[in-house]
Amino acid sequence: METGERAATPDVIRAVNVRKTYEDVEAVKSLSFRVPPSTCFGLLGPNGAGKTTMLKMVYAKCRRDRQDGSSLSVFGHDPDTNELAIKAQSGVVPQEDNLDDELSVVQNLRVYARLYGMPRAAAGRRIDELLAFMELREKARVKIRELSGGMKRRLIIARALLNGPRLLILDEPTTGLDPQVRHLIWDKLRQLKGEGLTILLTTHYMEEAFQICDTVLILHKGERVMEGAPRSLLSERLEPFVLEIRAGHAVERLRRRVERDGLRTVVAGDQVQVFGRDPAVLRALAADPAVSAEAEGAAMHVRETNLEDLFLEATGSALDE
Amino acid sequence: MSEASVPRKASVPRSGPAPGRAARPYPPLSSRLLSVWYRHYRVYVKSLVSNGLPPFLEPLIFLAGIGLGMGRYVTRMENLPYITFLATGLPITAAMFTAAFECTFGTFVRLEFEKIYDGMLAAPVTVTDLLVGEVLWAGSKGLFFSVAVTLVESAFGIVPFPLTLLVGFIGFLTGIMFACIALFVTSLVSSINHFNFFFTGFLSPMFFFSGVVFPLSNLPPVLRPVAEIFPLTHSVRAAREIATGHLTPWFLLDLACIGAFVLVAGFFGIRRLRRRLIQ
Repeated sequence: METGERAATPDVIRAVNVRKTYEDVEAVKSLSFRVPPSTCFGLLGPNGAGKTTMLKMVYAKCRRDRQDGSSLSVFGHDPDTNELAIKAQSGVVPQEDNLDDELSVVQNLRVYARLYGMPRAAAGRRIDELLAFMELREKARVKIRELSGGMKRRLIIARALLNGPRLLILDEPTTGLDPQVRHLIWDKLRQLKGEGLTILLTTHYMEEAFQICDTVLILHKGERVMEGAPRSLLSERLEPFVLEIRAGHAVERLRRRVERDGLRTVVAGDQVQVFGRDPAVLRALAADPAVSAEAEGAAMHVRETNLEDLFLEATGSALDE
Repeated sequence: MSEASVPRKASVPRSGPAPGRAARPYPPLSSRLLSVWYRHYRVYVKSLVSNGLPPFLEPLIFLAGIGLGMGRYVTRMENLPYITFLATGLPITAAMFTAAFECTFGTFVRLEFEKIYDGMLAAPVTVTDLLVGEVLWAGSKGLFFSVAVTLVESAFGIVPFPLTLLVGFIGFLTGIMFACIALFVTSLVSSINHFNFFFTGFLSPMFFFSGVVFPLSNLPPVLRPVAEIFPLTHSVRAAREIATGHLTPWFLLDLACIGAFVLVAGFFGIRRLRRRLIQ
């Protein structure tokens, strides 16, 4: 299949011009990317960007469009023709909780251990290990209904780790969870990556991408907007500081005034963002009476730019759902 | 429930293979089917009393109601005491109803509400494994229900004891057949309420016109071929031949018809449901 430039450590996932069309909607448009082993790759994008569709194509829950010059390889297998080989080496944490409500925590895991073909005794040991790892040991006999949202999520992660996967696929792993659980999950994912696990995840949290991803691919309407390490994307694409001024009706006037100084601006709603390399320049601008007169109250401040600014700039700040 | 207070100490489990080591093979077909079956079995025995008692109680009620009442007026049917005639059909209708319920309401809930299949499909099983495992489970329930009904009937001496247990085999096939038909119906509906048409429009009439409560020879000649189209007709006739120890060439023909229903309904049911599960 893929010969030629094959690196010493082959990529876990290699996507070339992958496309997916649902009836008349093009969810993913000709996307190419590679995920090397023992790294964490994040698909970042607003709702409806095509992240989940891309993820599902990797584990054969969704079929990509058949066309020339397009290929998808996971551990060297095509998901459309060899889904079992891929799934036997992967663990999946879906967006929706799909635990068996009628069974207890341990029984849920036992059913999946069977699906992975694990012998009974080995499954028992592995389940104990994973419950300890995900800090759910006291909940072993409890019914699913009695678990909190954060516990369910941890249990689903434990379930995905049952067969000691080499690839962990997570669809918005921490959406809707409180900060403590999110940090705990990030902690665990970092530990697993250190162990050699390859991780593919989707998220719309910038912080999540910063915390655990080695590479992020920002996806918008099924297309790649940018790709790279979170930190270098930020330093290459965006000035390090931003002054935000809430100006109500005066936004346009204010923008023209600021641009005379040669600073880049972005208008988002009733707010003008002024980007710059030197925070002192931005502070001086804020102190200028001509500027502060336009600001509503004292509604302005200088802060460091973050991935969210980059994300909003890349995907457009207006809602387009 | 403060999850923040949980100490962070557990170490990473190390039983997974190191990256780069040889890939582990996926489980063979038989093990995949059995593991799907096991999931349903586990959930079923979780409420054993409420799930396992009805198949023993239902025939009691039915035989008492019909046998004591009607039995006084109708004494013989097709050279059998009426109660025996009825008793040889009931294990099969029990199998039919349990399999049909399992693969309509049960399947629909797992598919649409609980998203159980979405989770299972992330493990090394295909859609076909999943649905065939489901059909095998419904067949097992058909076996269990038909044997339960037969045991109750034998306890009252209505059917000859050890021989009639072979009816369980027909109960199994009946369960498989109605599971396939039900899967096909499930692949057609968009709302769970649509199943009412299947139950009152198809299964209930079949109960009365497939030779369970009266012989097909009593139907008007024009309607007799219609009864032959009903899948239940073949199961009931086969079961009755086994229960009475009187096998005729019809037996093989009936088994062939059951096989045909399984293949056709199963093929189209799985094909249509695959489109629903794999986008």
